[in-house]
Amino acid sequence: MAMSYIRKILLGSLLAFTSLAVSAQTFVFTAIPDEDETKLMERFKGIADYLQEKLGVEVRYIPVKSYAAAVSAFRNNQVQLAWFGGLSGVQARSLVPGSEALAQGVEDVDFYTYFIAHQSTGLEESDTLPEGIRGKTFTFGSKGSTSGRVMPEHYIRQTFSEAPEDVFSRVGFSGNHTRTLRLVEAGTYEVGALNYAVWEKELENGNVNTDEVSVIWKTPAYPDYQWTIRGDVDDRYGEGFTDKVRQALLDMDDPELLESFPRSGFIPTANENYEPIRSVAEQIGILD
Amino acid sequence: MSGFELSGLTASYGGERVIGPLSLDVKEGEHVALVGKSGAGKSTLIKLIHERVDGHASLVPQDLGLVNALPVFHNVFMGQLDAHPAWYNTVTLVRPFRKDREAVKDLLRELGMADKFWTPTASLSGGQRQRVAVARAIYRNADLLLADEPISALDGPLAHQVMKALSQRFATSVIALHDVEMALAYATRIIGIQDGQIALDEASNRLSAADIMPLY
Amino acid sequence: MHFSPTLRVSLLFLVIAIAALFFADIAITTANPWRDLGRFFLGVATPDFFSTEGLATALLRTVAFAFVGVALGSACGFLLSLIYRFYPVRIFCAFIRAIHELFWALIFLQFFGFHPLTGVLAIAIPYSGIFAKVYSEILDEADPGPARLLPPSTGIISTFLYTRIPDCWVQLRTYTAYRLECGLRSSAILGFVGLPTLGFYLETSFSQGLYSQAGAMLILFYVLIATIPLWVKPKLLPVYILGAPFFLGDGMPIIWGNVERFFTQDIIPAPLRDGEGLAGLGPWFSDLMLTEAMPGIWNTLILTQIALVATGILTLLAFPLISNHFGGPIRRTSGHVFLVIARSTPEYILAYILLQLWGPSMLPAVVALALHNGGIIGHLIGRQTNAIHLRPDAPTGYRRYSWELVPRVYRSFLAFLFYRWEIIMRETAILGILGIYTLGFYVDSAIQQIRFDRAMVLILITALLNIGIDILGRYIRRKLALQTMPTC
Repeated sequence: MAMSYIRKILLGSLLAFTSLAVSAQTFVFTAIPDEDETKLMERFKGIADYLQEKLGVEVRYIPVKSYAAAVSAFRNNQVQLAWFGGLSGVQARSLVPGSEALAQGVEDVDFYTYFIAHQSTGLEESDTLPEGIRGKTFTFGSKGSTSGRVMPEHYIRQTFSEAPEDVFSRVGFSGNHTRTLRLVEAGTYEVGALNYAVWEKELENGNVNTDEVSVIWKTPAYPDYQWTIRGDVDDRYGEGFTDKVRQALLDMDDPELLESFPRSGFIPTANENYEPIRSVAEQIGILD
Repeated sequence: MSGFELSGLTASYGGERVIGPLSLDVKEGEHVALVGKSGAGKSTLIKLIHERVDGHASLVPQDLGLVNALPVFHNVFMGQLDAHPAWYNTVTLVRPFRKDREAVKDLLRELGMADKFWTPTASLSGGQRQRVAVARAIYRNADLLLADEPISALDGPLAHQVMKALSQRFATSVIALHDVEMALAYATRIIGIQDGQIALDEASNRLSAADIMPLY
Repeated sequence: MHFSPTLRVSLLFLVIAIAALFFADIAITTANPWRDLGRFFLGVATPDFFSTEGLATALLRTVAFAFVGVALGSACGFLLSLIYRFYPVRIFCAFIRAIHELFWALIFLQFFGFHPLTGVLAIAIPYSGIFAKVYSEILDEADPGPARLLPPSTGIISTFLYTRIPDCWVQLRTYTAYRLECGLRSSAILGFVGLPTLGFYLETSFSQGLYSQAGAMLILFYVLIATIPLWVKPKLLPVYILGAPFFLGDGMPIIWGNVERFFTQDIIPAPLRDGEGLAGLGPWFSDLMLTEAMPGIWNTLILTQIALVATGILTLLAFPLISNHFGGPIRRTSGHVFLVIARSTPEYILAYILLQLWGPSMLPAVVALALHNGGIIGHLIGRQTNAIHLRPDAPTGYRRYSWELVPRVYRSFLAFLFYRWEIIMRETAILGILGIYTLGFYVDSAIQQIRFDRAMVLILITALLNIGIDILGRYIRRKLALQTMPTC
């Protein structure tokens, strides 16, 4: 009895909420969750306001819980623009033909990964990846991170000719750079690898206990973060929209906004600048 | 046609024959009382007949077969579920129609329980439950009644009230009865069952209680 | 020496678990686990209810997803239960319920994205499978008598509505209400993969060490679950079910091309998609099996067996906490509070918290699974002992426990434990997402690498493993003649 009308209600309601949606003309963007969410929300709400003013369309930022979710949202056209890392950008652009890398931070041309260690390991800063890290516990950042996974794994393999699982006694994925820093600082992991910019920013803000954790090695430079846009935005938001977005990003000069990344400014880039990342990712087997 | 002619009636339980083989002819208009000790096979015979007439009979089984969670009204109304389309029955579950309510109420009044209309049958006494099952059988409106001890939990006047109603409402009936006096009072024909066989078959006006006692 | 079959089985599982301990990775890896735990409890003791503006919305969404998901699951499950006697339907239901809500969410996220439908279906689909099974078991128990008495030409719908449903109505309602509580837990953890429910904010607060915020969310969640009898009333139910769809949030629009792409390209094994044909499939599959599936299965089994026995031990220790046969009202009340918290907190959240505090290893997972499942079974067994009347001169204390009570409840204890075996395994697999190397870890990795073909194969393997354990658990329960009612 009650069943039959509950069924009717449900059918009706299913139809009702499939029709709810974001207005078609809202320009939506996302970013890989590489840092603490509160910080990301603050940063990208600012960016959304900035872009909305510059582009003259409604702009909305949606937070995601993983790198893959950012790539999927971009691929599924639920977002049209994204702040990707090196690897996630390569993944996204190969999945969405016509999409292009628009702009990167000045610092992203030559980006680095820091290997950091807890003081109990007794490891010191050196010019090469120290042999002493063998047998320690180690954490990457997110599984899909360039500076927290792909590049450090690449250099670990290059130095030791072994997979990370064989080099270290325990390998984990902290989730993001801030957490890698916290976990190594607390001694949960003895060694970790993270985005150097996050380290520098936290250090500057006095959020790092340097008695507990220190940098032991800096990787060679590689290209990293970039803004990537879908190829079909001009059809949807009008001719020249891509250029408008690029220009808006390049023109960003509000020190507060830039500091939140932290980048000193944005410069043009192109898809082919990220070929090195692609080949490294293919080598370590996380890209087909 | 509410009479029946059945032959080869037989049933076994756990490899042991409990009834038959026997034949039974009941003519339209006959009111048959099945008598005999408990365990003689009366219940089994009632069930057998019910199966053989393809359910085309009102049945009051010993365990009554009430739906405990439903109130008295719905248990009685169930007798006529085949008379209405599914939507009608569904609506009736939530909110019964006036004419059904009144028909059922009249019937219950006849059986002395008009006050228990909306009570779930789970909370009724044994005698009340029996009368609900009887009401359902009557409401069913079949010509043939098969009943297994329908008044075992009723006393004096109520038992008579129910038996009277049953013999008026059905053209033909086969009722298993423990009570010999009742059998003699309301049946036109008495069949005595002993060890799964018919041990006595006689018109009731030619019998007295003393003739039946040897069966017990 | 003679052992009863139940004892023999118990010892066998104990031995397996001890053997598994030698292969398991059990450690506390944080330098200062107790300081962190202390900070966490301090956070719970000093909850901050006003820090996140989204908290009220998150609670509302959690309730809304639970209502819509469970209602849809219950309606579909009910329809399926009507045809549950057909073998293909049984297989289908076993399959959809063997895949955890979080896995379903991860699948739907790939093509529906952050649309409410993702969360609704993630709950509704596995719940349909569970509802179908339990509903059909309940309906089969209905008294067949009344149906035989109906006029022969009565339609099947009327027969069903008048004779089956009323007989089972109370049980159906009780089970559905119970499932709603499970649905709230499921809904909460969906936030961990990005849906706008409680888990979303809980993860944010926890990962940043904001324990007062996290504490506030946990407390609100317990209050929400503990007060279900107060705010879920039969009369209000239609209002909730009608209203809930409007509180799911807008999410992002669905693009149907993505759905088609997912099924026609993404989940097609890479060698087939790239035109290498069947020849390439062999190496692809064996690589997947060797490097991901086998280690995942191994770790999942090890962790499951340890967690199962740990659950059993915790149950036996915990049930006296709420039993009338021991202690005074204060002990019992605190026992109740402990068990309510243990069973209301989803394993996933417990494991997440303990992982943050103790560092990565199987230990947090074992403790989380044991606490949650031990809380559930301990509560049921404790309640059962309250119905036992002991003779006036029965022994007290430990001897009462070991001679009078445990022997009486041991069979139903085992029944619950084996019933939950499959549930523990399903959760074990999922905990991989948090970084323990069970099957979920490899599923998550494959999704992170946008290799949905691999993810689907691994999810399929997980489902088959669950079905296998379910069959084995039922076989053991039948062999030992153990009966139980469903729990979630």
